[in-house]
Amino acid sequence: MLQNVIIGQYYPASSPLHRMDSRSKLIAAFFYLFIVFLANNWITYGLLIAFTAVTISASKVPLRYLYKGLKPILILVVFTMLLHIFLTKEGDVLYKAGWFEIYEGGIIQGIFIAMRLLLLVLMTSLLTLTTTPIDITDGLEHLLGPLKKWKLPVHEFALMMSISLRFIPTLLQETEKIMKAQMARGADFTSGPIKERAKAFVPLLVPLFVSSFKRAEELALAMEARGYRGGEGRTRLRALQWHSRDTFALVLLISLTLSLFLLRS
Amino acid sequence: MEISIKQLEHRYMQGTPFERRALHDVNLQIPDETFLALIGHTGSGKSTLIQHLNGLLKPSAGSIKMGNTILEAGGKKQDLKPLRKKAGIVFQYPEHQLFEETVEKDIMFGPRNFGMSEEEAKRTASNVIEMVGLPQTVLSKSPFDLSGGQMRRVAIAGVLAMNPEVLILDEPTAGLDPSGRVEIMELFYELHQKNKLTTVLVTHSMEDASKYADEIAVMHKGELYLHGKPNEIFNERKALQEAGLDVPETVQFLLKWNEKSGQDLSLSAFTIEELAKSLGQALKKRGS
Repeated sequence: MLQNVIIGQYYPASSPLHRMDSRSKLIAAFFYLFIVFLANNWITYGLLIAFTAVTISASKVPLRYLYKGLKPILILVVFTMLLHIFLTKEGDVLYKAGWFEIYEGGIIQGIFIAMRLLLLVLMTSLLTLTTTPIDITDGLEHLLGPLKKWKLPVHEFALMMSISLRFIPTLLQETEKIMKAQMARGADFTSGPIKERAKAFVPLLVPLFVSSFKRAEELALAMEARGYRGGEGRTRLRALQWHSRDTFALVLLISLTLSLFLLRS
Repeated sequence: MEISIKQLEHRYMQGTPFERRALHDVNLQIPDETFLALIGHTGSGKSTLIQHLNGLLKPSAGSIKMGNTILEAGGKKQDLKPLRKKAGIVFQYPEHQLFEETVEKDIMFGPRNFGMSEEEAKRTASNVIEMVGLPQTVLSKSPFDLSGGQMRRVAIAGVLAMNPEVLILDEPTAGLDPSGRVEIMELFYELHQKNKLTTVLVTHSMEDASKYADEIAVMHKGELYLHGKPNEIFNERKALQEAGLDVPETVQFLLKWNEKSGQDLSLSAFTIEELAKSLGQALKKRGS
């Protein structure tokens, strides 16, 4: 039933991208979000596509998995593309039927926008495909570290994130268990009018909340019993390590940015 | 209700890289009004098996016949409510399923789902609360104000209120104190006899199995490993140990006794009282 849901989309493999430090991957992905908007002609888009293609092949993630991640936003991509094709009125008229006109500029604009969206989603999903959720959290904690100066509870946020990630599978198991128990008592979660169905979830949600609160209290107690006192002076079992490949990746990205600046029109 | 399981196979997450076979070629006949104990090590497939009995899980292959209802692999979608009413499951730690504002409403949840009128459901609730040994005053309380043991009883009452013909119990006494365990088991046994139920008890406890069961079925690695009357099963000590189990303590004692004394006492004393009696007789015989 619920066991088909895979949490996060980490794809285990051994590739240069998997071995990169999560900090450099986060920086690179964030940086990439901006430079995608620099491209505005065929050459710059070609450059971005080439860069993305190389990154994808270096990640050893099967295209099938990437496609799975893309599927939900494909409709959005197609929709924006069509919108641009119909609404942009630049360049030569390619087709005309009554008030309905399609311009050359519209086609080009549509393709560019679709490319932009696809590239953005591909790169960000590559980040989550090659980095475990825990690594991402660790990386974020490090990168946001300077914000502690302004009393931002960075460590606490990171801890909250890793705890939630850790308990998602547990919560799913629990959901399935309670669902089955209520179904055995004649509850029906799958049929009936929407109002009835929403009501049917009360017997599922109440026990889930109760057990979640109980579990949270137990966890807090267990952490305190083992002397947890926040992030101050805490060492790590799996320390993040910055390698030369991380520096190399960032240098590569900067040179890409420079080329984009030079080649854009 | 007679239960007949034929060549049952179950695979979790079929068609994904995470596919795992949990049951394989299980054939089991449970005659009407039988008390069957289903024993096995953790992960042997007991819980998976019992969830098939009211259609919570669908067979990947094979079939299950519950009275007149047939559940089979690839079978048509059918309304499972009548079956679920007849086959009540008490899950492990059933107190986790309580959700209503009052104990009474929670007990009424099952009966109301199966179409009982409000009046009748109320009457049923007050009946079953006595059955599980709680006072009527509990009915108006919130289930979350009760102690763990009381919550367990309320949850059990919620299943009994459906008035099932088949009672499926998944380790109903896990986590209870010794006296609570005996009380709950005695309650189920009494119901089993009085209402002529067919009962399937999933347990780790050989002692419980030997005390209450007419038949014992042992699961091992997703297959039905042994099936028979308790004394037949306890003669297969080697096989039991292979499955990570052992005979009850009383039978262990008898086996040792037979070995040391050269006598041949039958292995049918499962309670301490019975054991004391048969030892007493054996000693008398020896003395004379």
